[in-house]
Amino acid sequence: MESGQHMLRTGRRGTLFEFSMALRDLVTSYHRRGLAWSLAWHDVVSRYRGSILGPFWITISMGLMVLGIGLLYAKLFGISVAEFMPYVAMGIVFFGLMAGTINEGCDTFVQASSMLSQTSLPMFTFIWRTVLRNLINLAHHAVIILGVIIFFGLWRVMDVLPAVGGLLLTIVNLAWISMLAAIASARFRDIPQFVMSVMQFAIFMTPVFWKPDAFPDRHAFLTLNPFYHMLTTIRAPLLGQEADGLSYVILAIMAVLGWALTFSVFAITRRRIVHFL
Amino acid sequence: MTDVSIKVTDLTLRFPVYGVDAKSLKKNLARVTVGGRLGASTTGATEVTALSHLNLNLRAGDRLGLIGHNGSGKTTLLRALSGAYEPDEGQIEVRGRIAALLDLSLGIDPSATGVDNIRLRGRIAGMSSKEIEDKMDEIAEFSGLGPFLAMPMKTYSAGMQARLAFAVATAVEADVLLMDEWISVGDADFQKLAHRRLLNLVERAGILVLSSHDAGLLRLYCNKVMRLEGGVASEVKDIRRLDELLAAA
Repeated sequence: MESGQHMLRTGRRGTLFEFSMALRDLVTSYHRRGLAWSLAWHDVVSRYRGSILGPFWITISMGLMVLGIGLLYAKLFGISVAEFMPYVAMGIVFFGLMAGTINEGCDTFVQASSMLSQTSLPMFTFIWRTVLRNLINLAHHAVIILGVIIFFGLWRVMDVLPAVGGLLLTIVNLAWISMLAAIASARFRDIPQFVMSVMQFAIFMTPVFWKPDAFPDRHAFLTLNPFYHMLTTIRAPLLGQEADGLSYVILAIMAVLGWALTFSVFAITRRRIVHFL
Repeated sequence: MTDVSIKVTDLTLRFPVYGVDAKSLKKNLARVTVGGRLGASTTGATEVTALSHLNLNLRAGDRLGLIGHNGSGKTTLLRALSGAYEPDEGQIEVRGRIAALLDLSLGIDPSATGVDNIRLRGRIAGMSSKEIEDKMDEIAEFSGLGPFLAMPMKTYSAGMQARLAFAVATAVEADVLLMDEWISVGDADFQKLAHRRLLNLVERAGILVLSSHDAGLLRLYCNKVMRLEGGVASEVKDIRRLDELLAAA
């Protein structure tokens, strides 16, 4: 029904109707996924226009951090560099994906306000734009991951499939968190600051730079941290270890519940979002 | 082209105005902690009724001019017709491909080249990559910018920017054309070209809705006219009765 040829917009007709309209927004964004991709690609290109290295500057800065922290902390903690460097490298790169997707989620609708207020583009398009942009960035930083995998010979021990599964679950979860942040930030301008503080706090509370060996398995401090599960399901298999099956389960449950919540919030606020901006 | 139509039934649009304060969490949190009485007076979002109980039926061949003072709801109606605003009451049904020429600078990135901007703007307008590449030559030629298309748009003069934006915005195939003010850009030569292109577009489009303050322009392009006054619409009248509507002001 919602196509380039036919547009129907009506007043509220009950909750069920609001959900079906939200679903239509989602379906339309899928049909126009090329647009989300174009916008994401354009964002990356335009952010680094005129720069020779482009997004690789971030890769270089991340690489430097990996090198520094990898060598220093290995010494401080008394762990071998061969063990610690790949651990930190993957931690920094994948946490970068999480922090980027969530922090930039706050700007999703605010940034798109002029487009939202004069076109009928689906709102989900802009969510995918943020997520895809961060995946494009990740593809650049993957150089670091590849580097440590080759240099430290991890390709002999790593298990790619569970890592890919972990990455997919992580992306699905990041997408709803990013969307929730987008809606909340459109309405309340304090949210971006709040989200940024939380993510800054999370990078130190999550085993990105440190090993969780001091905690017994499944300690609440780790189990209650969603970023721990995202990180460990991707990182452990790549390091040739087995990630706790519980983490995958938790991520799957989180994805279902999180999307149910976010989609409901979207269905209810969808009409208002353009007025928030 | 099948049955191109616009059908608006009993449309009411209200804008909640969220004050600067209301956007901050503190007020809303304060409401929770302090209790409803104090909060209710400080945080209730004011609503402005931009359009009220508007009815409109247009079919292929209708060229509607919208008149009314600033703030009478003309742009709001155009944006609602473009699908950006959801009605609070009533419904809007548009059949046919919509092209809204409300803001020429929509989706324009000044630091990107002319060609990149053509692509981006085309994508936003709903064209596929292939459609854009097919039209690229035509758009480039019409803009008359030649080698400048490979340069970032920020190096363009205001007139050149307007030319490019206009060329892309009007490259769309549309059945329903929504315009906020007749676009007149560039130097005299380009205005003539632009004029012809717009006429062409209007002829191809089934329906035109044009908001303008210029009575001469409306007489030239429209065959119907509607007056908005504080969000309330008059009847749709024949353009020959424009003076009546203007006199009613």
